[in-house]
Amino acid sequence: MAINPPEARTLQAPVPAPPLAESAGEPVQQSSLWRDAYRRYLRNKGAVAAGIVFTIILLYCFLIPGFWIIPGIWTTIFDIDPNQVNFAETYLPPSIEHPFGTDQFGRDLWTRVAKGGQLSITIGFAATFAILVIGIAYGSISGFIGGRLDNAMMRFLDALYGLPYLPFAILALAIIGTVNFWTMVIALTIASWFTAARIVRGQVITLKQNDYVRAAQAVGARWHRVLVRHLLPNTLGVLVIFVFLELPNVVLGEAFLSFIGLGINPPDASWGSLASEGREAYRTHPLDLWIPCLFIAALVLCANFIADGLRDALDPRTKET
Amino acid sequence: MAAFIIRRIFWTIPVLLLVIFMIFVMMRQIEGNPFRRTERAVPPAVQANLERKFNLDKPWYMQYLLYVKGVFTLDLGPSLTQTDRDVMDIVKEHFPRSVKLGVFAFMWAIIFGIPAGVIAALRPNTVYDYFLMFFSSIGFALPSFFVATLLIYYFANKLNVVPTNGWPLGFWDVDSRVILPSLALGLYPMAYFARLVRGTMLETMQQDYVRTARAKGLRWKNIVARHVFRNSLIPVVTATAPLFGLVITGTFVIEIIFSIPGIGRYFINSVSSRDYAVVMGITVLTSIVIILANLFVDIAYGFLDPRTRTSRT
Repeated sequence: MAINPPEARTLQAPVPAPPLAESAGEPVQQSSLWRDAYRRYLRNKGAVAAGIVFTIILLYCFLIPGFWIIPGIWTTIFDIDPNQVNFAETYLPPSIEHPFGTDQFGRDLWTRVAKGGQLSITIGFAATFAILVIGIAYGSISGFIGGRLDNAMMRFLDALYGLPYLPFAILALAIIGTVNFWTMVIALTIASWFTAARIVRGQVITLKQNDYVRAAQAVGARWHRVLVRHLLPNTLGVLVIFVFLELPNVVLGEAFLSFIGLGINPPDASWGSLASEGREAYRTHPLDLWIPCLFIAALVLCANFIADGLRDALDPRTKET
Repeated sequence: MAAFIIRRIFWTIPVLLLVIFMIFVMMRQIEGNPFRRTERAVPPAVQANLERKFNLDKPWYMQYLLYVKGVFTLDLGPSLTQTDRDVMDIVKEHFPRSVKLGVFAFMWAIIFGIPAGVIAALRPNTVYDYFLMFFSSIGFALPSFFVATLLIYYFANKLNVVPTNGWPLGFWDVDSRVILPSLALGLYPMAYFARLVRGTMLETMQQDYVRTARAKGLRWKNIVARHVFRNSLIPVVTATAPLFGLVITGTFVIEIIFSIPGIGRYFINSVSSRDYAVVMGITVLTSIVIILANLFVDIAYGFLDPRTRTSRT
């Protein structure tokens, strides 16, 4: 990830090695922001563990059939259609064949949870990305232009801060009429981008006062170049943290919508709709609720820990005692 | 201070109009009109009457202005499916129940969340801290419908100490049916407060004035009570408005699970029965509640932290 523009790097003077007799070994290594951050992140045991669990969840969800079928391996061992109904095998307990058992229609939960996870996670990332795009557009315009426009745009955000997304998401779904992947993304984005816009604006305003921005403006760089080359790349660290802070909200929001029956249509599943199905028979078959809910919880927890780790790594000043 | 408050209130009005406008535009995009001419033969006179009653015979900007006027005079128009009721009647009946649910949820959050944060901050990186923060992480991560289901199963079905569902209908009535729904709803704000108080208290303890107070030889107990805790509550006040929005969202799910006849459940039923007047009315209402909550929080913040009055125009 290139943070510095290339011309800036060539202008840097080479770091002279300290002229000490005993330091004849390794040359002084120049370390970039991202390499430092990476090293700090690795020192945070909790964040590393969260990253590993997060990766395992992703691998489980995306390597199970229905997404990529690797001929010879997945096709023979795991090739089960997640929507395949089998009334002879309803509510089977966990076994080798069905590691999570089966549901009320005899569908294999191992593949259904994986398929549901694909949907929940892709909707989560897509909506987070959409929120970021809107937030960057709104926040950078507001922060960069400043003055009256900034004032008006921020008063607007101030008033809307914390607006509950659910009524607006439901409204959006009612307007579009059909529920599919993209309508879910729109519904989850429509009233959730306010925080992102605030963060970007705050960053842009702080960065705008830096000398290198003034220097760029002094040598005649146009505003869009300053914004795109000098300001936005430097907000990247904050935005990476924001992705992992926002992802849990979006995943939980999708689960809420699916849970109240306004989400993905059956027979397709997401973790929220699986939990909703599992709740109906909770007394007799608690696993059907526990499994999707524990996956949601694990994903949310991991994302929170990763965000904490990234914050400590990218901005050491905020590190708690 | 007066100028700050007036300016802040002044800014709220155009935002309110803009939000109502956005919801109005959104509602107009919804396919289908309940009074469209269909195969059912409606006499033209009746059709015209219906359109007049719902202002559908007027141009859109007049409809918008009439709606805004309705919002400010607390008249959100008639319901589309319940012919003898106004949207405002429905709101008046159902909204207080949801408010009570939210208030109890916040009570749990304040009673348990803030002390948990204080204890964790006073003993950072000890067993207490890890234990409390572990629970707070869980409170963040578990979806409320899962917590609600477990609570119903273990406390209502197995132990039989509280009823599984239902709600005391009068605003001032409180009985054991309140406990489980408000606890399930309050878990998230509880976890949030615990984290927030811990973080801000640890930060405040690093401040120079705390060091000065210690150097003067004040007792640590007094320093914490007077200097650290008080200053740490400011972010808690600011966090209340967005938390409010989250709690409103939570009531939708909790009311369905516990069969509470509140506004969230009514909203979802109205979406399915395509009662768009109610859907729009409730959305406008929740937005107004949040906008006003933000207004009050900003003003309260101005009182609590004098620095903000000048820096924020």
